[in-house]
Amino acid sequence: MFRKLTIALLAWVFVLSACGPAALPPAPTPLSVASATPASIRLTDGLGRTVVLSHPAQRIVSMAPSNTEILFAIGAGAQVAGRDMFSDYPEAAKSLPDIGGSMGQFSMEQIVALKPDLVLAAELNTPEQVQAMEQLGLTVYYLKNPTNLEGLYTNLETVGLLSGQDAKAAALAQSLKARVAAVDARIATVTNKPSVFYELDSTDPAKPYTAGPGSYVDLLIARAGGTNVGAALKGQWAQMSLEQLVVANPHFILLGDAAYGATPASLNTRPGWETLSAIRQARVLVFDDNTVSRPGPRLVDGLEALAKILHPELFK
Amino acid sequence: MQEACLTQTSSMNLRPYLLNLLFLLFAVLLSLVIGSVFIPPAALWQVLLGNTSTEPYKTFAFIVWNIRLPRTALITLAGAALGGSGAAYQGLFRNPLADPYLIGVASGAGLGAVAAMTIQWPYNYWGLMAIPMAAFVAGMLTVLVVYWLARMGNTVPTTNLILAGVAVSSFATALTSFLMLQSTGEVRRALGWLLGGISFSGWDAVLAMLPYILLSLGVLLFCGHALNLLQFGDEQAQQMGLPVNRARMIILVSASLATAGAVAFAGIIGFIGLVAPHVVRLIWGVDYRRILPLSILTGAAALLLADVLARVVLSPQELPVGLVTALVGAPFFLWVLRRAKNQGHW
Repeated sequence: MFRKLTIALLAWVFVLSACGPAALPPAPTPLSVASATPASIRLTDGLGRTVVLSHPAQRIVSMAPSNTEILFAIGAGAQVAGRDMFSDYPEAAKSLPDIGGSMGQFSMEQIVALKPDLVLAAELNTPEQVQAMEQLGLTVYYLKNPTNLEGLYTNLETVGLLSGQDAKAAALAQSLKARVAAVDARIATVTNKPSVFYELDSTDPAKPYTAGPGSYVDLLIARAGGTNVGAALKGQWAQMSLEQLVVANPHFILLGDAAYGATPASLNTRPGWETLSAIRQARVLVFDDNTVSRPGPRLVDGLEALAKILHPELFK
Repeated sequence: MQEACLTQTSSMNLRPYLLNLLFLLFAVLLSLVIGSVFIPPAALWQVLLGNTSTEPYKTFAFIVWNIRLPRTALITLAGAALGGSGAAYQGLFRNPLADPYLIGVASGAGLGAVAAMTIQWPYNYWGLMAIPMAAFVAGMLTVLVVYWLARMGNTVPTTNLILAGVAVSSFATALTSFLMLQSTGEVRRALGWLLGGISFSGWDAVLAMLPYILLSLGVLLFCGHALNLLQFGDEQAQQMGLPVNRARMIILVSASLATAGAVAFAGIIGFIGLVAPHVVRLIWGVDYRRILPLSILTGAAALLLADVLARVVLSPQELPVGLVTALVGAPFFLWVLRRAKNQGHW
């Protein structure tokens, strides 16, 4: 009987696969090479899709805070027609129409009603959402997260091309490069690399979350001349036991969760934390997590802030 | 199968079906009318009349037909599947607490989906179908494993099924949590899925789940009489001429198939499968020939209403519909039960 059931199940999988291709949607808005004018924009996005725009986008919906920040930073703020609920920077973005985004659920209705000529998606969004928007006839560009600062410059230039602000995007990339180079130059000489514990969440003070290897925090701490104690853990959002933290005994504790209520004073009340020298010597600092978690131009602000904390003597 | 599951003709009373059908129609209409974009009634009337050549009617028509209609269809199918399989499970296990997830379909499907999410699939039809397919297959495999574990010789006692189901479910849930803790980027996606968030829009998902749900619910509709007999206990049902083991297997597989189809595309949506059959039973009595079709209709309507709520409560934020069914469904269920208790029957 068991075997019969298995066969039946396999048969059903087959039926599913058989009716799959028939359900393929009609090709979305025909944007072929032939119909593209010489001035058209043709790029491959982070999902390997070819995205073609006949002219620079004038009504852009941003699906992630990082995308909104990039658009405003390269001077395309006036072209943004809508943004996700977490886009709170710059101030001007807050007054734009909200398209949702809580628990990864976006309102397709709102997006369609805004009549965007480009939806700028990010890694926060799922391929299913990209497909859904594509089937609704929208032009979607999926901007992959950069893995380093060089990737950030490329992303700025990509968004510049899509929005027709390529000149400003290139200028911004240049100035960011110069600022990063300035930090690099000062850090080049340092020999001491103070250790940092970057706190993301300590709802359970016995095993707080910290930024693990591959995260922007990890990347920027290293670049700012420090050592991330979370670098030895696994995963970008990594949990560290208090035991490990006591052994690591970091020189600095940065509170990336300050926005959620963590204060330097509150650390004294956490059982077991009083042994940490960062607490005893008051090297616990509040840190603006948005400058180091969103892959936008403010990553460089975050880098500079970190460098000043880690090596104040070099930035007098 | 003809012998295992057959409906005895009985004097048909159409009133409950008509009332439930009206309720479902009302819910479908509401689901088309209400969404995160507000469409004034006058404009909606124009859209329904087809006067859509000018703005803003053009956009409104697009939203109603291309976003709300496929979503309404998906929710209707998922709700129907959960309501129908919930009734079947409750009858099969003779247990008012049984719901479609009792023997592990949901936790198995969750494991399959989250496991599939850890892989980078190519962006094309098959890559996008990989997750629901994995959920579907893993959900069905879990039921088969439970069935196999619960088997004693030629019979499959329901107690064994429940115990094996609980154990296998816990194991699958633990594995799912482990995978989620290990991953970095997929947690948000997985969480949305496990909370019953609809990530699919358009007709692909509807077309892909349609055959399973139609077939499995179709089979279940013929099993009302068998379920009625099973209420007397296995021995007596056997004496009354029901091939108990075979009937039970057919019901179990059909109900699980419907549930797996729903879960694969709509995520894990709780309470519909538990509440719908209870409400039907309280209002229309204990005859499974009636409970099954009415639970299908009620499940569909209830999930549609929950989805409307999910879309408007925090508009333009959309809540995962599973969150709404749990938040609204649990108190509603308690209220229904208290009322029933006060009237002298649970």
